[in-house]
Amino acid sequence: MPQIEVQGLSKNYNRGPPALNEATFRYEGSGAIGYLGPNGAGKTTTLKLLTGLLRPTGGRALLNGVDVAHDRKRALSNVGAIIESPEPYPSQTVEEAIEMVSDFRSGPSRSVREEIRALSEKLDLPPLDARCGRLSKGQRQRVSIAASLVRDPQVIILDEPTSGLDPKERILIRNLLNDLKRDHLILMSSHLMQEVTEICDQVIFINRGDILLRDTVQNVATRFRTRAVDVEFATPIVVDRIKALGPLVQDAVVVGERRFRISFDGSDSARAEILKGLVGIGPVLSYQNASLVLEDAYLALMQGGVAGESAA
Amino acid sequence: MDPSSLPSDTVQWWTAVRRQLRFYLRTWRFVGLLIFVMVVTTAFTALSIYYGDSGASANSYLYGVINSLPTFGIIIGAFIGGDAIAMDFGSGTGYFMLVLPVRRVVLLLGRYAAAFLASFALILVYYAYAIAGASWFYGLGGLPWLDVAESIGLAALFALAVLATAFLFSAFFRSPAISIVVTILVLFLAFTILDGAIAVTGVEPFFSLPYSGGVLALVFQSAPHHVISSVASGRARITIHTWNPYIWEGVVIMLVYLGVGLGLSSALYQYKESKG
Repeated sequence: MPQIEVQGLSKNYNRGPPALNEATFRYEGSGAIGYLGPNGAGKTTTLKLLTGLLRPTGGRALLNGVDVAHDRKRALSNVGAIIESPEPYPSQTVEEAIEMVSDFRSGPSRSVREEIRALSEKLDLPPLDARCGRLSKGQRQRVSIAASLVRDPQVIILDEPTSGLDPKERILIRNLLNDLKRDHLILMSSHLMQEVTEICDQVIFINRGDILLRDTVQNVATRFRTRAVDVEFATPIVVDRIKALGPLVQDAVVVGERRFRISFDGSDSARAEILKGLVGIGPVLSYQNASLVLEDAYLALMQGGVAGESAA
Repeated sequence: MDPSSLPSDTVQWWTAVRRQLRFYLRTWRFVGLLIFVMVVTTAFTALSIYYGDSGASANSYLYGVINSLPTFGIIIGAFIGGDAIAMDFGSGTGYFMLVLPVRRVVLLLGRYAAAFLASFALILVYYAYAIAGASWFYGLGGLPWLDVAESIGLAALFALAVLATAFLFSAFFRSPAISIVVTILVLFLAFTILDGAIAVTGVEPFFSLPYSGGVLALVFQSAPHHVISSVASGRARITIHTWNPYIWEGVVIMLVYLGVGLGLSSALYQYKESKG
């Protein structure tokens, strides 16, 4: 079974504060884990330590049970990784770049051509005979993703995999990762809460080298329930009618011609009661959380607003 | 993928050699160096044919032509190997290559072998012109083939030593372009200046890689190991020491550069981190 594990993993650059401070987590089996945090939080450092691009100053990083620092080759044998912005050799064609990765993973093989064709269709790669040096950033990123997936490694480590991609390309990658997570273990860092919400089953929040919270997306949603909803009516109404619904409505503001944002205590019962009241005011077109749950959790954690929360 | 199904280091090394060689042969710098070598050697051969060979034998002709080869060898080696390690830490290619399940030393040795093959191909072009010019004057039967073979063997060793040194320099830089420029400056200009500066001291430049390259031509025509001459400089006279390496001495210097350069660059490549 695919495995990603870090045990008290630390990294110090020169004399500054630790970029990663005794991080510990372990995942086994299939699924997708989102790794969230602001710039400089330690996300990329963790992923670089996991792939042997950096050496730890303390602790261990293990992939499929093999310590990366001790035996990089064996540890990475079943791992596909995208870290920072990888670039194939500019003079290589798309096919050569992916084939080279396959050769290193499992030796020269004729069957890889078929696999490359299949990846090309899935990822909408540029023509396979195009030189990588002439591709756009998004195209190169997709070639790198294809290369990381060739020969079907069971562990996939992705550092902001959709950065530099346009919305269509992002949807393509999101769908691919949702397919892959059924029988692969994916660890991906991202700034995009929407992306993590749509792909990941578990999340890790990190800031200033410390892991702040580690849990399933569902548990995080329960813990950091959204405290505002957006409602849209089919016809214009006066905001005071919403405010008059009672004490459950803490505040209501106009955000559009027929759209309003309502603040409340965040409980499910209040959410249901408010909806009942709104339906009585007029025909409701939509009623949804004002922001993504992960976004709320992220902001609360980064502002230190959740005292005592610890890694699950 | 089971770790036991991973290709052996040897298979991965061969993969690295094939892929890297294709990469080198497709670069503009290889094409540029090929044109450069061809233009210079064509001009030299044409001038020799036009004015006639001033030497008395095929050996002296070959000595004259091959005497310049170390300079070309250094330029070729610096351009081809000068960014060997820097390219993985100053551009995104490192993030593409260094996350693969392959030992870094295997990658480096594959790159080294590919750089050698690309450099040696250019050196052989130089020899081809030298042999063509010599055979124009003395016929193919009149050429000292054993000496030619020995010189080519020494040139291969020289290329290996230059590349190992270039690889070592490239480990200290992040920018591939700066790495190439510094390698050329050190290997070409710094040694030339140093060799010139110590000519007045009487110290043999046994530490100099370009000095060892002198043996490539010396196999065709022996020269005294140490020549002392005196030149006037104003009212004073300066004693100039000219040195020619023994063949064994040149080989030892090249082997030291090869061993130290390749050993240190492998160690640096192994432990270098992708911090950027």
